[in-house]
Amino acid sequence: MAGRSQFGLSALERRALLKGSLGAAAFAGMQSYASAAKIAEVTAPPPMPLPGRKVALVPLRVTPDQLIDVKCCIRPFRAAGPNLGTQMIGDTLVVHNYGHGGSGWSLSWGSADVALGKALSVLPKEIAVVGCGIVGLTTAVLAQQYGLKVTIYARDMIQRTRSFRASGSFTPSSRVALTEPAGPEFGDLWERMARFSWKAFRTCIGLPGNPVEFQDNYGLSDTPPQRRVREPNPAITDSYATRGIPFQETEFAHLDDRIKDIVPQSSLLPPEENPFNAAYASRTSHMYFNFASYGHMLLTEFFGRGGQFVMRDFHGPADYAKLKEKVVINCTGYAARDLWQDKTIIPVRGQTGWLVPQPDSHYAVRYKNVMLMSKADGVCVMNNNSIPEDLGDMFGVGNSMELPNPADIQAGLKLIAPVFAPPVGGA
Amino acid sequence: MARALSVIALAATAIAIGAASPAPITTRQGVFTEDQAAAGAQLYATRCAMCHGKMREGTYETPSLQDRFIANWSKAPVADLYDYLARAMPQFAPGSLKPAETAQIVAYLLKANGLPAGAKPLPEGGPTLARIMLEPKAPSLSAKAVPRTK
Ligand SMILES: Cc1cc2nc3c(=O)[nH]c(=O)nc-3n(C[C@H](O)[C@H](O)[C@H](O)COP(=O)(O)OP(=O)(O)OC[C@H]3O[C@@H](n4cnc5c(N)ncnc54)[C@H](O)[C@@H]3O)c2cc1C
Repeated sequence: MAGRSQFGLSALERRALLKGSLGAAAFAGMQSYASAAKIAEVTAPPPMPLPGRKVALVPLRVTPDQLIDVKCCIRPFRAAGPNLGTQMIGDTLVVHNYGHGGSGWSLSWGSADVALGKALSVLPKEIAVVGCGIVGLTTAVLAQQYGLKVTIYARDMIQRTRSFRASGSFTPSSRVALTEPAGPEFGDLWERMARFSWKAFRTCIGLPGNPVEFQDNYGLSDTPPQRRVREPNPAITDSYATRGIPFQETEFAHLDDRIKDIVPQSSLLPPEENPFNAAYASRTSHMYFNFASYGHMLLTEFFGRGGQFVMRDFHGPADYAKLKEKVVINCTGYAARDLWQDKTIIPVRGQTGWLVPQPDSHYAVRYKNVMLMSKADGVCVMNNNSIPEDLGDMFGVGNSMELPNPADIQAGLKLIAPVFAPPVGGA
Repeated sequence: MARALSVIALAATAIAIGAASPAPITTRQGVFTEDQAAAGAQLYATRCAMCHGKMREGTYETPSLQDRFIANWSKAPVADLYDYLARAMPQFAPGSLKPAETAQIVAYLLKANGLPAGAKPLPEGGPTLARIMLEPKAPSLSAKAVPRTK
C-alpha cells in the first residue's frame, strides 16, 4: 500500500497535494489526469475493523444525498403460478408465459423452456414473442437457440419494462404462487424451471460486464437470529378460496428447500468475523443480475442471431391473430391482466431506491427489514417495513399504485445507517 | 403481411357493421365537444396527471400520452382506447371511471393531440364509437425550413 501511487506521488505528497500545500503549479500539472479527490479515493487504505473484530468491509454510504433513483413496479402474481397454458385465437396458437410474481428474472430461462416446448409441438419455423421484458426477451433468445426465426413485438424494449424495476437477484420462489390453488404438481414444475434457470445463469458468470454475479449477503440483527416459522393465524378466516386474494403469508408457496442442494445457505458468523455494528450477523452468498449488462447481453445475442424487433401495441387477443407468425408466445407480464382479461393476476406493488454505485462495497446487507444490494448500476435499497405489523409476503398485495414513494426509501436508509457507524464510544 | 391482414380485418369489420351503416368516421372530423374536452382536462388533472405528467409528457417508465401514444392507438377504433381506459385506468383504481368521465378524458386526449372539437359529443361507448377511427392530426410542417448556413 505504501510507496508511490499510479501518478508517481508518495503518500506524503498526496496528502500535501490534497491540502493544497504543493502549490498551484503542481496542481495544474495534475489536472490532465484526474481530480485530487479521485486519487485519494483510488489509493484509500482499507478500513479498520471495528473494535473486537478481525474483518472490515468498506462501509456503504447511505446518506440521503446518495439516492439517485426510485423505481416502482408491480409484480404479476397469479395464485396458480405462471400461466403456461395454450389457446387458439383464430388460426394462431398462443402459448402464454406470464404471471411470474416476484420470480420473473429467476425463472426466466426455465419458464421459456417450458413455453417453447409447447410451441415446438406444432413444428413452427418462425414464431412471434409478444413482450420484451425479461421473460419475453429470454424466450426469444432461447427460441433462436432452438433454431427458430423470431420476431419480438412489444410496446417497450427491456430497459423500459417493469423487469428493469425489479431488484434482481435469484429468488425463484418469491411470491410465485399460492400453495392451494397451484396444486400439488406445481412444485415439480417450479423445480424444473428453477434448476434450468440456475444452470443457464451460471453460463453467464464471468462474461464481460458481469451480467450475473455472486456476492456475500449479510443478515444482521440485534437479537439472536431465528429461523422464520410461518404459522397460519386462526383469527384470519378469509383466504384466496373465499375472496380471490391471499389474506396471510402461509397461503404462499415456499419452495426454496427443493433446491437447497445448489443454492448457498446462510450461517451465523462468530462475533469477531462480523464486520458490522450489529450484535449478530449471518452470511450467505447470493446470485444476482446486473440489469444493464444482462439486458445488453440478451439483446446482442437476439439481434446477432437475426432477430427482429417491432414496436407495437396490442389492444386485445384478436390482435394476436393478425400477426404473420402463427405461433405466438405471450409474455406481457402484469399487462396480461387487462390485455387477456386474466383477473387472476393479483398486483403486488414493490419499489426500489438506487444509491450511487459503490463498487468497493461489493456485498448485500439486511437489517430491520431493509435490504441493500450493491450492484453495478447502483446500490439497490428496499424497505419492506409496513405499519403496524410486518406483512412479509403480504406486503404490497392487491396494490396497483405504481408511483414511487421516495420517503419510504429514505426511512429505510435511516433505519439501516447505524450498522455502518462505529459503535458509540468505539475506537 | 401483417398490414395486409389487418386491412382485410378492417374491411371485414366494415362489412360486418352492415352495408346500411355510414362510412367510418375519423377523429379528424370533430368527434367530441369542447365541453367534453374541458371536463376531461379537469379529470385528467386529478386522476391521470400524477403518473402521466401535467403536460401528458409521461416518464421513462410511464407512457406519455402524445406522439408515440397516438401512433400506438391509431388505425383502430377510438372504442379500443375508450374501453381500455374504462377497464384498466387509473391503474391504481381500474374501472372507477364513469362512462361519461371516460368519454371526457378521451375527448381531452384527442384535443390535446391536436384533433378538432365538433358539434356532437363523443359517445359513451356503443356502436357509434366503434365506427370512429383514431387518425392522428395531419402533420404540420414547420413554416420555415432550417435556415441554411451561408
Ligand atoms: C420491487 C420488485 C423487485 C423484484 N425483484 C425480483 C428479483 O429479485 N428476482 C426476480 O426473479 N424477480 C423479481 N421481481 C419480479 C420481476 O420483476 C417480474 O416477475 C418480471 O419483471 C416479469 O417480467 P415480464 O417479462 O413477464 O413482464 P414485463 O417486464 O412487465 O414485460 C412485459 C412486456 O410486454 C410488453 N407489453 C405489455 N403490454 C403490451 C401491449 N398491450 N402491447 C404490446 N406490448 C405489451 C411490455 O412493453 C414489455 O415489453 C421483482 C419485482 C418487483 C416489483
